[in-house]
Amino acid sequence: MRNSLFQLPDELVLTSLAQAFPCRSFQLRSLATLLHPDAAPCQNVVLYGTEATGKSAITVALLARLEASEDDGSPDGDLRLRFAIVNSVECITSRHLFESVVGKVAKALRWHGPSSSRCENVSQLTVELSKMLKYAPRPDGFRFVLVFDGIDRQREATPTLLPALARLAEIIPCITSVFIVTSPPASFLHTAFAPHVHFPNYTKTEFVAIVAAGGPPLEAPALPNTTPEEGADLWARFAAAVHDALARAATRTLPAFRHACDALWPRFTTPVVAGTRGAREFSKLLIAARAHFQDECLLDPGIIVAARPPSAAPAPSTPIPSGSNSITPQTSSKPHTSDLAALLPTTARLLLLAAYLASHNATRHDLVLFSTHHHGRRRRRGGLSVSVGRGAGPGRSKHRKIARKLLGAHAFVLERMLAIFAAVRGEWDGRYASREWGGLVDGMDADIGMAMATLASLRLLVRVGGLASASGGDAMDRGGKWRVNVGWEMIRALGRSMGVEVEEWLIE
Amino acid sequence: MAELEDNTVFQQDDHRAAYIFSAPSSEDQHHHDASSSAARPTKRRRVSSKKDGSKSRQQTAAAAEETAATRSAFTPLFNSESPEAVRLRAESFETAWPVLDARIQHVLREANRNTLDEVTSFIRNAEAETTQIPAGIIITGPNIASQDLLFEQLADTLCKATQARFVRLRSAEAPNLKAALKKIIKDARASGRDDDDDTDDDDETGLSVCKNGRKYLNYDLETLHVALDVNESPRVIVAFQDSEAFDSGLLTDLIALFHSWHDRIRFSVLFGIATSVQLFQARLLKSTARYLYGAQFDVVQAGSVLESVFKSAVAGSQALVRLGPSLLRNLVERQQDQVAGIQVFISSLKYAYMCHFYANPLSMFLTADGHVDRQLLQSEHIQAVRTLGSFKAHVEAAVEARQLNHAQSLLNDDSYLVDQILKQGQRRQDHVMRLLRSLHLITAMGILSTPFTDLYISALAEGISLSSDMFAVVDPIKRLGPDGIISLIRRLVSAIEAGSPELDLPGWESKADELIASLGEIRNEVESLVERTKDNRNPLKSKYGAHSKVLRTTVVAQKVQLSRDTATLTDEDNAFTKAINSLMDILSQHIHCDPAESLFLHEAWLYDSKSPYRDVFIPRLATTFGRALTRPHDYLGCACCGNAGGAVASTLPTTAILYHLYLEAGALINVADLWSAYYASVGDESELGLDERTALVHFYEGLAELRMMGFVRQSKKKADHVAKLKWL
Repeated sequence: MRNSLFQLPDELVLTSLAQAFPCRSFQLRSLATLLHPDAAPCQNVVLYGTEATGKSAITVALLARLEASEDDGSPDGDLRLRFAIVNSVECITSRHLFESVVGKVAKALRWHGPSSSRCENVSQLTVELSKMLKYAPRPDGFRFVLVFDGIDRQREATPTLLPALARLAEIIPCITSVFIVTSPPASFLHTAFAPHVHFPNYTKTEFVAIVAAGGPPLEAPALPNTTPEEGADLWARFAAAVHDALARAATRTLPAFRHACDALWPRFTTPVVAGTRGAREFSKLLIAARAHFQDECLLDPGIIVAARPPSAAPAPSTPIPSGSNSITPQTSSKPHTSDLAALLPTTARLLLLAAYLASHNATRHDLVLFSTHHHGRRRRRGGLSVSVGRGAGPGRSKHRKIARKLLGAHAFVLERMLAIFAAVRGEWDGRYASREWGGLVDGMDADIGMAMATLASLRLLVRVGGLASASGGDAMDRGGKWRVNVGWEMIRALGRSMGVEVEEWLIE
Repeated sequence: MAELEDNTVFQQDDHRAAYIFSAPSSEDQHHHDASSSAARPTKRRRVSSKKDGSKSRQQTAAAAEETAATRSAFTPLFNSESPEAVRLRAESFETAWPVLDARIQHVLREANRNTLDEVTSFIRNAEAETTQIPAGIIITGPNIASQDLLFEQLADTLCKATQARFVRLRSAEAPNLKAALKKIIKDARASGRDDDDDTDDDDETGLSVCKNGRKYLNYDLETLHVALDVNESPRVIVAFQDSEAFDSGLLTDLIALFHSWHDRIRFSVLFGIATSVQLFQARLLKSTARYLYGAQFDVVQAGSVLESVFKSAVAGSQALVRLGPSLLRNLVERQQDQVAGIQVFISSLKYAYMCHFYANPLSMFLTADGHVDRQLLQSEHIQAVRTLGSFKAHVEAAVEARQLNHAQSLLNDDSYLVDQILKQGQRRQDHVMRLLRSLHLITAMGILSTPFTDLYISALAEGISLSSDMFAVVDPIKRLGPDGIISLIRRLVSAIEAGSPELDLPGWESKADELIASLGEIRNEVESLVERTKDNRNPLKSKYGAHSKVLRTTVVAQKVQLSRDTATLTDEDNAFTKAINSLMDILSQHIHCDPAESLFLHEAWLYDSKSPYRDVFIPRLATTFGRALTRPHDYLGCACCGNAGGAVASTLPTTAILYHLYLEAGALINVADLWSAYYASVGDESELGLDERTALVHFYEGLAELRMMGFVRQSKKKADHVAKLKWL
């Protein structure tokens, strides 16, 4: 069967693969040479390149085809090439990785021998693999290709993991390990030499060629008065334009580029579908759709993709159908749900405001802001007037200060926030003072604790400091330090929803 | 036996206003330990065999029986209440509450129906549209705890509709990736229909064995894949109930993992979100967000859920106990101001019911069928009735109305009073019916935009009359045109015929013949008037209409004078005005209700005390601690420090003395100063005269207790100082 020492794999396989993966024939051929048992099989291969450049897909497809081409229909199925692919994303621990390797190798070899229960480190992995690969009878020139996909992202990986895996082949000679990584540091395998195959990102011509080959999205409406050739031509030119507008600067991966093309295509071709422009008038179409090309939300599609089902809009606010009751003017004016102010009840809002003040005011100003001692009424000093006074003077201070509210939030002690809360509550909450049991706040009641806990669980308030991360910290410990986790814009809106200008309570 | 003893102790102390602590003797202590260790099963490392499980189930069942037995044993009141009366109260509670509870559950379930349908159709259809992970994002509002029901329903519906395995994750259950995966795998395998457990969990090694003989780690999704492989491409829906509380790194990891497995196990995710999608999205990596195919769903607003629950459980005709206006106002305000979900409202309701039947001996008049056995009434009951405020008011009213015999018999004749008491059941029902019908008619008019809760509360407190400010419907009705009047009458009539299913109010057209007939007359008259004036140029109008007043400007001596003139009314207009007047008369005659507290014996069915509710649901820990430490004598009941009042006395417990000193100190307290101050009050010179060593031991104990209660903390700022922690 083998008639020469070096023989490349069947050209037919490579050509068909090269068609399936355009613009990657060089990488394909290098990889085939390095993996095929008849060509130049080596111990370790490193494939590297950025995201979405076809590393994993090409490896999988090539190995599957090579294995299939080896299969000459012999019943015992003793092929000279077997492979297993382990994706590190799916492996939670390194032990998980080892056991996946053992499981997948056994599956690829259709191994039914005894397997031990655990495989916790590389030594055990070597033992297990040796059992299956080294000591079991295999045909001449047998290679086993073990692909570690994304091995640089492996969780809980020890620094010795990669070098150890690279040395597997020294113990089990028939193994070829393929490491798929994003960007390998120099000699990260600590071995003498491992061939590297680089998968560079596509160039513009390649991008356009690949997308043009894919054709316009299927769900897009067919263009009237257009021959298929014209349509394909328009699509290709359109793809080039999209690449210039978006892909060069921001969307640098093939799927993102393809997504941008798919999203823009219906808008771009609206004039053609409407019949106002022909498919040949590319520049006119481009000018008509200029606004869409400048639209940046294509680059950052949110997670809300699906449109709301239309039935949801006139949702009845009373669940039980009530005969004549529907005539009454229902208070169905739904508050906009993304608005924090509408979501939180009064106490929680006040607490959040108090926390913001505690985070963004220095402790030494508290007496000025919240004390009623001398004036009977609190002295508020707006941040605005203070900063204007400073800026206008001739002796301008040397270093400009950044407004405190633009800086990050500082940590504060819980007790201080509660004191601020107690101080402003009577003034800000109109209903609080008029309440029967109102008057003086004597201590926290359970409702305030509940509001705090809710804010903390929503991560609007976060606990900081060493105790917070450990489970030992009690959330209500008065000595604990907290920080507000909401930005200025949201706080201002929140304050205004209660009739409070938060700016007046901040001191630069 | 030990438990039995415990229960008796519990019952004796349960109804006292203040609990006096007495240290248990050593034998008692022993029993206590034994019982507590018996009640709580020893902590097991894993649930391996079914035998263990069944045993603990038996235990819990036995415990449940026991609690049922103790719960029905209400305490006899009056010191001599007959057991039958006690049993009657207990039974009335146990029949009254489940009815309401079922209704509330029904309302809550119905409220989520829309969301459920939307989510189900999204999950079912999303797969055809995308290769990403379908992600339903449910905006639940800040009270995550009350959304348990929603997710329970989602699990039911989605399992049925899509044959998927449903896993609910809470942040507390999934602190890290491994734990989250373990939970997902365990629940997804358990939630399926086929419960043949062909795998064997082994927590010791962290492995689970599948039927093909291979062993998998218990956080390996391969386990799930193998276990679910019986049907091709299994579906798993993972619901993150409180997404905000999850670590964002964990969410990112999980989503990436789901995406990587998506070709073998079809994952869908649901997120319960309290704040907003934008905030949630900001916490995810962009590369992760790309994997999600999201859709946003809203649940019914808390306000409208509250209103439905209120209608069916508080206002509805099935509610046996009426909650008083001030308690209700408290409850409703708490829903708006505090982070308290609808569940809190429901449990407050239940607590009010429990309090009423437990602590009010007169609640025995409030049986479900309205029939009270005369034999059960004791002299104490009659005596108690005579002390009621409503009795006094009733007698005074009778005297004023010159019904002296009636008043005298009420005061003197026991059997006459019993007769009157027995009549009150019917009076109560009549009152409730009148209240509900009036309210229903007012809401059916569609003129007031006040929420039903406010209307109901003020109706209870002040009664209903059309002239009051709360029910200001008179002027708007008078200003209506003929079409408005006709449609108003039509609405009223249909409201009478249909009743209100929410309020559990059947239609009452058979009892309101007169009202319906006179309404019909007015309508006919207005219609005929409209018919007559159809050819006229001027439309039909009334004296009260907006067009009847004309503003005139006259210029006299270069001054503008404004004067109002009443437009002239035709005969038809006058007839229309008269029709409106008679309509108003009829309405104010029928829509009318007295305040609940004006009724005789309302104490038997109206519950309006706030303090038990506040003590239980809004405890004030700091105040309680502070009070106990300031006046320990009230709680300890010892003889020695009774005359100390609020001041420091040497006989007070050490912690209390230290607390007094603590209150006088500044932010940082020098421990040596504290000690000398303490020793000055208990040392040789004081009446107690402790020697220094004993005092020091007490001092250390007290300081340690203060620290344990969170009042002081070791300070890093200054040596030998403690920092004061609690200011409020």
